[in-house]
Amino acid sequence: MAYGISIWERLGIRKSSGVSEAGWGHTAFVALISFIYFLPVLFIIFTAIKPQGLALSVPPTLSPTSLLGLIPEQFVFTPTLENFGSVFSRVMTAGSQPEATGFDRFFLNSIVIATASVVLALIFGTLAAYGFSRYPLKGNDTYLFIILTTRMLPAIVVVIPVILMFRTVGLSGSYLGIILLYTAFNLAFTIWMMKSFFDELSTDVEDAARIDGSSEVKVFFKICLPQVVAGLAATFVFGLILTWNEFLFALLLTGPDTRTVPVAMNQAVSSGGRGTDWTLLAAIETLFLIPVFLVTFFLQEHLLRGVTFGTVKK
Amino acid sequence: MSMSRKIKGAVTAAGVVASLVAVNPTFVRAEEVTLTMAVPDWPPTRIMKKFFDEQYKPKSGNTVKLDVDFIPWPDFYTRVNASLTSGEQKYNFIVSDSQWLGAFVEGGYFRQINDLLDADPDFMKTFMEIHPNPLNAYATYPHKSTNYYGFPQFPDVLVNFARKDVLCHEAEQASYMAKYNKKLPCTGEELDAMTWDDFNNVGEFFRRKKGEMLAGKPADDDFYGIAFQAGKSYDFSSMQINGFIWQMGGDVWDETKVPNGQAEGVVNSPEAVKALEKYLNLIDYMPPVAKTGTMDIFKSDELFREGKVAMNIDWIGLGEASLDPKSSKVSDKLVVGMMPGTMGADGKMVRWSNIGGQPFVLTTWTTPQQTAEAVEFVKWWLSADIQNQFAAGGGQSAIKSVYSDPKYVTYRPWNRAWAASLDWQKDVWHVPQFFELLTQQQDQFDLAITGKQDAKTTLDNIAKFQQSLLTEAGLIQ
Amino acid sequence: MTMHAMSAIEPTSPPPGVLAIRADNWRLAIVAGLALSIFAALTLPASVSFWVVGVAAAMIAAAFVVNAYRRRYYGGLLVAPAIAVLFVMNIFPLLWSLGLSFFAYQSNQQSIRFVGLNNYIKVLTNEIAAPGNWSALVNTALFVVLTVSAQMMVGFLLAMLFAKQFPLRKYLLILVLTPMMLSVVASGVFFTYYYDPTFGILSYVMNAITGGQFILMDSKAGAVAGIVFADAWMWSPFVMLLVLAGLVSVPKYLYEAAAIDRVSAWRRFWSITFPYIRGLLMLALLFRTIEAFKLADLVILLTKGGNDTMTISYHLIRIANEQNKTSEGAAISYVMLFMVIVLTNLYLYLANRRNQES
Repeated sequence: MAYGISIWERLGIRKSSGVSEAGWGHTAFVALISFIYFLPVLFIIFTAIKPQGLALSVPPTLSPTSLLGLIPEQFVFTPTLENFGSVFSRVMTAGSQPEATGFDRFFLNSIVIATASVVLALIFGTLAAYGFSRYPLKGNDTYLFIILTTRMLPAIVVVIPVILMFRTVGLSGSYLGIILLYTAFNLAFTIWMMKSFFDELSTDVEDAARIDGSSEVKVFFKICLPQVVAGLAATFVFGLILTWNEFLFALLLTGPDTRTVPVAMNQAVSSGGRGTDWTLLAAIETLFLIPVFLVTFFLQEHLLRGVTFGTVKK
Repeated sequence: MSMSRKIKGAVTAAGVVASLVAVNPTFVRAEEVTLTMAVPDWPPTRIMKKFFDEQYKPKSGNTVKLDVDFIPWPDFYTRVNASLTSGEQKYNFIVSDSQWLGAFVEGGYFRQINDLLDADPDFMKTFMEIHPNPLNAYATYPHKSTNYYGFPQFPDVLVNFARKDVLCHEAEQASYMAKYNKKLPCTGEELDAMTWDDFNNVGEFFRRKKGEMLAGKPADDDFYGIAFQAGKSYDFSSMQINGFIWQMGGDVWDETKVPNGQAEGVVNSPEAVKALEKYLNLIDYMPPVAKTGTMDIFKSDELFREGKVAMNIDWIGLGEASLDPKSSKVSDKLVVGMMPGTMGADGKMVRWSNIGGQPFVLTTWTTPQQTAEAVEFVKWWLSADIQNQFAAGGGQSAIKSVYSDPKYVTYRPWNRAWAASLDWQKDVWHVPQFFELLTQQQDQFDLAITGKQDAKTTLDNIAKFQQSLLTEAGLIQ
Repeated sequence: MTMHAMSAIEPTSPPPGVLAIRADNWRLAIVAGLALSIFAALTLPASVSFWVVGVAAAMIAAAFVVNAYRRRYYGGLLVAPAIAVLFVMNIFPLLWSLGLSFFAYQSNQQSIRFVGLNNYIKVLTNEIAAPGNWSALVNTALFVVLTVSAQMMVGFLLAMLFAKQFPLRKYLLILVLTPMMLSVVASGVFFTYYYDPTFGILSYVMNAITGGQFILMDSKAGAVAGIVFADAWMWSPFVMLLVLAGLVSVPKYLYEAAAIDRVSAWRRFWSITFPYIRGLLMLALLFRTIEAFKLADLVILLTKGGNDTMTISYHLIRIANEQNKTSEGAAISYVMLFMVIVLTNLYLYLANRRNQES
């Protein structure tokens, strides 16, 4: 690694070069920073397992465990899983039985819609990026820039035409409609990102393969794609995260059956005739975090492996 | 089936039906009718849906389904507005804030119901049972005309939520008496009799730092006497300030005086300036969040439920949470009175307040059959029996026979203040320019609340803007 | 699209005459498709004619595809599906609202009238409408500068931390990535809690230190800091991930060679590392700038635009959504688009110039 070098060398911890190995000293340092960075999230997760009455306690309760007396008793709370139950079923009107909130459906919707649209965007976007990179059209940069401009305007501007269009075609409230919309929403980033990865690849290997009689299809799948796995993983992660949390289109273009979690989450922001239900909101967010967290975690292997083979810079 | 065969089949079927009807005039085919409704997601609408599913039996013999789209409050307007203006024609019923009527009536989305009332004397009778103030606010456009549009879903007023454990404590009572030579209000009746000056005193009296004595114990956190809405978003300061202005002899731009009513000179009259100053002075005694312009109706309610303030003026609609021990630290300490008034020169209390709550309205694309079922449903909803059950379950009723029933006050602690409060409720701005008027005014009030400009400048700016906007719109000549 | 078949096609054939009925005659397809569409739009109800027009469009598209396939225009073929989706879902609605910006139109009224550039003149110069737009633009510029530079710096530094191999690296990395996975509603609402003067952690800590009453959000500086902190905290991981993807792609042997040559760390960075991350840094800068221009949700949640923190995007939501002034909103958004385009072109120009220099 390049920057840290002088600092680390001066500290005498480790002499580093390239994507190099660092030891536990570095781990401890990074762990401290990562932990601080993660604290606001950790607080949300802890709020999810707090008893409802402690959500706004002063002083704030910070930890479910005293860590063997390390944390003073007044900052410690007794954890509960009750809030997660409330996400799916809770009392909606005073004095009645708990009712289903529909969140099982909302979670399923979010997963289906986000996955389908990101995968579609990745397929279309990667093909397009490869096209832009290897077979430049006349006015290539102009096309690319126009694609980029689709991300520049706030969604509110296109909302009315999109609603009208969806109604005419019968797409409002359907999975297909919102999936296609999100696909378009993700395309700009996918194309730009994947193009920058394809651009970084050396074409020597590809040309050699062509001379050896490999078809264009083979060149693409066997030679180019494997080199941009990191790019694919990163793009997938970004697309998933952005789509996962998209709010405005989901609010306006999904029906009760296709509603996604970010829209339904506001149930907890204005909850049952009052303001924020902090523990409920935290529980929803914590559950909602898990799928995207896991996907990112398992993809980061690819993400960090790097493009190590065949990368001779043009 | 080919197209022509389909059509032939349909024609035959129609013929059979026609002959059956002709032979037997009493024959009615039971049909399935779906009424789609957009509502905010909170207990009053959940209760409505629950009652409907459990109890509603349509007289027509049709199967009537109420398909309710529960939309979280923060996005309710955005969703409804987009649905209406895009021409989606998705909902038959819409719960609407009273001030949205103008824009949506002018847009051609909300259906006038005079013909339905005229055609059905029973319906008219039920409808006229509604207290005139809520009726005017929720149903009329232009305001106070006899063009009717809506039915009360959840009528609401501002009341004074208070903590009796602190207010009735002997030591506090004694030292308040010593300081102000007046009794610290503690019972519902004493709260009812409060003026804003008393409210001011309570605010000044209860300003305790953490560790100072409060009701015989050291306070575990900073404690404040009073709170009310002073937030920038939506109408979360206007609804409180309007009450001050009316009580102290000022006025807002009055839509019933179109086209002669002015904004300049009215909105920024000396009385109005004094009223706003009074409102602003009280903020000094409130929890620190008031200085950020984000103390909306939810934040002041939250502060009250967490036990940080002794009194909070807020909507009844938010009251349920303060009764629930799970969400409230003061659930067993609650006492509720009317919103404070202003003592007039003649020694009589002057009371005015801005009404809250929501009507629900029919949309123009609702078919005659749906409309017929909708009328039956509304009659059922406004019937004394259902309204009583609604009130018992935490709702409010604007129907005279219901709220004047002695058992009404037993349902909830705030119901004791309900009937009397209805008599002095007013409403503002049902005109289509509502949102423009509101956002500009809220922005200006926010500047005053956060100490960036004084009351006079604030009201001058508002008056100037309103005069220009409303003149352009042809509402001021 | 089967690319396998593509490679096995006959050599390029001459383009067909305009009237030749052939699958690759896209000129004829356009003429026929247009005629059919216009006929359908004029005679059939909208719900039917929509599908007829759709079929015509598909026919034209098919002709283009066959043409491109026979003549080996791979670029066009590869790009087409993406462009098609973008056009229908994004570009078409954008053009629609561009058109609306030249009319006097409110979405909750039935009338519509052509007014030329009047909306633009109004949003830029009108005595009542314009000052709000300008101050929102100035605030937006402030937010863009602060939050993008914060994100670039924090993201870059974080990436440097993770560019090495070290024990537990993947577990620590995921911690840093989590903030951007949060939904903005949840994180925004929780930041109102962190900043709350009565309940919040920040005031609790500050009060304990200073003994006074600390209120972050009661001044413009505090409110801007609060919003920028929350936004930068959420999105720095985005920059970090892009930079990291670039950093790990630098071949190790280049560093080894540099080490042998005793190249200084500074030079090593500029000559070896930087070229590998330049494209990705640019991309991060580009996308974060575009997103920062659209900053609205955090402002709505944290200040509602109070303390002079109104951004152009939030202002736009009020105009176009709350007040239903559709065409005025469209005009504002195209003024905004113009500014973003100028800015991004400037970025791209500078980046390309650097590219050529190095």
